[in-house]
Amino acid sequence: MAAPGNLAVLESDLQSAVTLLKNLQDQVMAVTAQVQALTKKVQARAYPTEKGLSLLEVKDQLLLMYLMDLTHLILDKASGGSLQGHAAVLRLVEIRTVLEKLRPLDQKLKYQIDKLVKTAVTGSLSENDPLRFKPHPSNMMSKLSSEDEEEDEAEGQSEASGKKSVKGTVKKYVPPRLVPVHYDETEAEREKKRLERARKRALSSSVIRELKEQYSDAPEEIRDARHPHVTRQSQEDQHRINYEESMMVRLSVSKREKGRRKRASVMNSQLHSLTHFSDISALTGGTPHLDEDQNPIKKRKKIPKKSRKKTGVLSSHIMARRRKFLKGLARKEELTL
Amino acid sequence: MTLTLRSKKFMTNRLLRRKQRVIDVHHPGKATVPKSEIWEKLAEMYKIADVIFVFGFRAHFGGGQTTGFGMIYDSLDYAKKNKPKHRLARHSLYEKKKTSRKQRKEEYKNRMTQFRRTAKASVGPGKKK
Repeated sequence: MAAPGNLAVLESDLQSAVTLLKNLQDQVMAVTAQVQALTKKVQARAYPTEKGLSLLEVKDQLLLMYLMDLTHLILDKASGGSLQGHAAVLRLVEIRTVLEKLRPLDQKLKYQIDKLVKTAVTGSLSENDPLRFKPHPSNMMSKLSSEDEEEDEAEGQSEASGKKSVKGTVKKYVPPRLVPVHYDETEAEREKKRLERARKRALSSSVIRELKEQYSDAPEEIRDARHPHVTRQSQEDQHRINYEESMMVRLSVSKREKGRRKRASVMNSQLHSLTHFSDISALTGGTPHLDEDQNPIKKRKKIPKKSRKKTGVLSSHIMARRRKFLKGLARKEELTL
Repeated sequence: MTLTLRSKKFMTNRLLRRKQRVIDVHHPGKATVPKSEIWEKLAEMYKIADVIFVFGFRAHFGGGQTTGFGMIYDSLDYAKKNKPKHRLARHSLYEKKKTSRKQRKEEYKNRMTQFRRTAKASVGPGKKK
């Protein structure tokens, strides 16, 4: 029959119900105690939030409102009322949607909040923080007494650059001392750079380009291409003409520019590229060779080592010749003696 | 007299109160046209003579074409204010002083000899009465 079955179910349920209610009571007491302690603290203004992040405050308030509405609903349900069309349900739904919409904002602020919390806890920036390397202009100003003079002079100059600024006391110019960096480019590095440049030049030479064309599968292009130097020069000329016309000025041409222009125009008129090929020894690893009528390669000047002492100025081969000469002298004396 | 003037990049420069343009002169078969001729031609075209300034004429390779700049000011006052002095001098609107630099330096030095030590710094350029 259904009734005894129900009774059995009810009995087992009764047990669990009683234990659950007891648990509930304990928990409720604990929660109330905590909440009361919190409210006391808040009323004693232990948590000032005026200068905090407004997003967090909004979230706090919304959560509190949510809790209030939820407790109101629970109260109604526990005393037997129905939730149909309850005003609190609508309010709950509204608060829930707002909280959901706030979640991406929370994501975006996560980094900032974490950093603030970390700074507040440790009292200083962490080691990996890139903000540690921000510039400190106070370190760059010279700590000498002529600091104020320099500032005034700078202001005066910026105001009226044509007028002479009247200086009260003429002080010696002290250059600003920033962090000094040691310059140390060794011979090996210079050699490497030279090789790199020679390589680039060799790669863009006509020999290599024709090889590329031969072995690549791309279709052959026939272009009205002049020598790359010439095109570069004509581009620069065009740029110069544009500048002059837009600025309404005439720019002066330096000697170097004139030489470049002349060489570029000469390249057009000669049959230079028919018989002269550029040097590709940088790629093959051989010694650099040259055609007959080209200029010889400049020998790199050896930079004298500064560590050489004054006493050992004479180089070794001169010493050797000296020794030879003296030996010859000694032998002559022996013979005559 | 196959002189053709064409103007490119015309712009009204309100800041300097003038109209500026790039002038292309086409003169096939002749030598480079002097500035004064171009100036006269422009004066004919625009009817005002004394506020027109032309400068910077360069002939192209091979001859036959020259490019330069031309400016027409709103009035002579603005022209005097805004133009560099050597250009005004070409139109005899400005006379620069004829004392040479050497003379001026000598005068300055002689004036300095009257003073001693730090008072020398108070000797300024120009005549002191």
